[in-house]
Amino acid sequence: MSPKLLAVLRREYLERVRTRGFVIATVLGPLLMAAMMVVPALVARSGGKPLRIAVVDREGSLRPAVEAALRDLRVDGKPHFTVEPGASGPAAEREAAIKKQVLDGQLDGYLLLPADAVEAAAASYYGRNVSNLGELRTLERRVSDVLVSRRLSGAGLDPRRVKDLTRELDLKTIRVSAGGEREDRGAAFFLSIILLMILYTSILMWGQLVMTSVIEEKGSRVVEVMASGLPPTQLLWGKLLGVGAAGLTQFLVWAASLGVISLAAAGPLVGSIKLPEISPLVLVSFVVFFLLGFLFYASLYAAIGAAVNTVQEAQNFVFPVIMPLVIGLVCFPVVLESPDSAFSVALSLVPFLTPLMMFLRIVVLTPPAWQIVVSVVLMLLAIAAAVWVAARVYRVGILMYGKKPTFPELMRWMRHT
Amino acid sequence: MTDSALVLEGVSKSFAGHQAVDRLSLRVPRGSVFGLLGPNGAGKTTTLRMVMNVFAPDAGTIEILGRPADHAARDRIGYMPEERGLYPRMVLEEQLLFMAAIKGIPRRVAAQRLGPWLERLSLAEWRRKKTNELSKGMQQKAQFIATVLHQPEVLIMDEPMSGLDPVGMDVMRETMLDLHRRGTTIVLSSHQMDTVEKLCDRVALINRGAKVLDGAVSEVKARHGKNTVALAFEGDGAFLASLPGVVKVSDFGQYVEIRLAEGADAQRLLHAAAERLVLRRFEIVEPSLHDIFVETVTRDGQEAA
Repeated sequence: MSPKLLAVLRREYLERVRTRGFVIATVLGPLLMAAMMVVPALVARSGGKPLRIAVVDREGSLRPAVEAALRDLRVDGKPHFTVEPGASGPAAEREAAIKKQVLDGQLDGYLLLPADAVEAAAASYYGRNVSNLGELRTLERRVSDVLVSRRLSGAGLDPRRVKDLTRELDLKTIRVSAGGEREDRGAAFFLSIILLMILYTSILMWGQLVMTSVIEEKGSRVVEVMASGLPPTQLLWGKLLGVGAAGLTQFLVWAASLGVISLAAAGPLVGSIKLPEISPLVLVSFVVFFLLGFLFYASLYAAIGAAVNTVQEAQNFVFPVIMPLVIGLVCFPVVLESPDSAFSVALSLVPFLTPLMMFLRIVVLTPPAWQIVVSVVLMLLAIAAAVWVAARVYRVGILMYGKKPTFPELMRWMRHT
Repeated sequence: MTDSALVLEGVSKSFAGHQAVDRLSLRVPRGSVFGLLGPNGAGKTTTLRMVMNVFAPDAGTIEILGRPADHAARDRIGYMPEERGLYPRMVLEEQLLFMAAIKGIPRRVAAQRLGPWLERLSLAEWRRKKTNELSKGMQQKAQFIATVLHQPEVLIMDEPMSGLDPVGMDVMRETMLDLHRRGTTIVLSSHQMDTVEKLCDRVALINRGAKVLDGAVSEVKARHGKNTVALAFEGDGAFLASLPGVVKVSDFGQYVEIRLAEGADAQRLLHAAAERLVLRRFEIVEPSLHDIFVETVTRDGQEAA
């Protein structure tokens, strides 16, 4: 690598890394991720004070069973509900007194079992807060169990025996890969979507930065000094590598802080947080496909930047260029559903789509090695072509001020230089 | 070792059917202060850009310091384009070290040279400021340092005086002449011939992409003879233009310049003028490059027609 190219690379890298936006995104990214993982767990543990409820039984015989069922429910060794006796007395008076206790905040709510609770399978919950759907669902299940047992006993069946016989299936999903077997409860699905979105936005965002950088260089007229100092191809490569390195730096910081966070979180919060496992293969391919996608799209972005005068003018040109990337994003459910189908394989081998599609396939179901190799080779060829085109447009375009060129004119630039 | 800093041989360039430079040949001797002069749109900037490989010429050859023009040769040139440009958000010091690196000078070496230059152009206290925080005049000086920090053997400046205030112009001229005394070849382009002609020892005048004339300034002037008279007077001088032998009268307010036909006698003009005006000054002067240029271009135009 020539010293001049290195100087450009260094400049581009430092200019990106020193911006406020970069620092904020790099620091806030992990904090946000940490918040997303830790906060729900913390809320679930400490914020989840047991719900204080009382049971009003108009049927007359259900209260002990229901109270026991609720009192017995434990999550992580802690009671889920605190069942208060509430005021005593005949049902109607007791209900009025309890309602007052709820309003006064002594109780969170109360459960009303109507006289025909068993036959009609009906009950009502009166509470100050009724949007805690999760807890109400649990409440519903427990009460329902009691009512069902009561009906079974009435029909002369042994509730315990019936429950035993009608136990529901607990389907475990286990992901099989060369690295071993691992139980997976949907984390793979979310992980692949999240990683895909990060990859997509990163390629677009860093590519766009290359374009803006070219436009600014043109706007500040510094480009003429640059063009007289080193060949445009070197200038272009310096830019691509410098901005790409800034992108990698951000990922590195993210990955490192993610690691630190999960280690820190693993201590006090064992069991309550399930971090999705990211295999080394996925990490490596994330970096590789980011770089491939970035180099391809960023060099096209650079060409656009060289051809126009302002970011606004660039918009018409940007759309056709990023079209394939958007198509890739739209196709992802198909690939997720059947990552091995001919359609998915074909998608992942088309250079424009490779960065997203092949990466997705690797995350979901590791494809045969030869397919990965072929996709990377095709992608490298596509990058070489994109940089070639970009360098030519670049060389002519960077000194063209004024009128925005048309596509036929761009074609002519490519042939001329 | 050759004695030419730049040699252009039959260089042409056209843009979309417009012939910007037409078979131009130039030789810039080492150690000279060379003026590339001509009106706006004459092809000066295009010519310099071809020397700097910003454009490739359609035809012709360019030699730099006796070698075919390549990037290694161009590293020995300092080029200040007409469109000045610096990275707006870069710290001044970083900016200048970067510009030197683009010319192949390692940061460490450039850093040692930077201090004296910043002192000299009184930018020292601004070295850690971002470029867009500097005034326009300071940016011009910074641009100049960026052009010379790699100690070029040839300094090419496109319209160096444009946009400078009088103080800036003086600093620029002194610094340029100082470099010249130390052996740097200097190439200036300008459309304001009168400001530049005092600096240059050699000139080439170009018009519509083609060379009109070139050579040492003294030769060029000698070739055009001492047939200009500067005249200051009191009274109505309108009749001067109709005197025999007078080709042209240029009124400068305080005085007029009278261009005489070849072989016309200046003494007869003096007598004729003294009869009707109160003369305060009568001087036979060298023609200005501007006049020579206008005369040559008009004559060429007439011949072509």
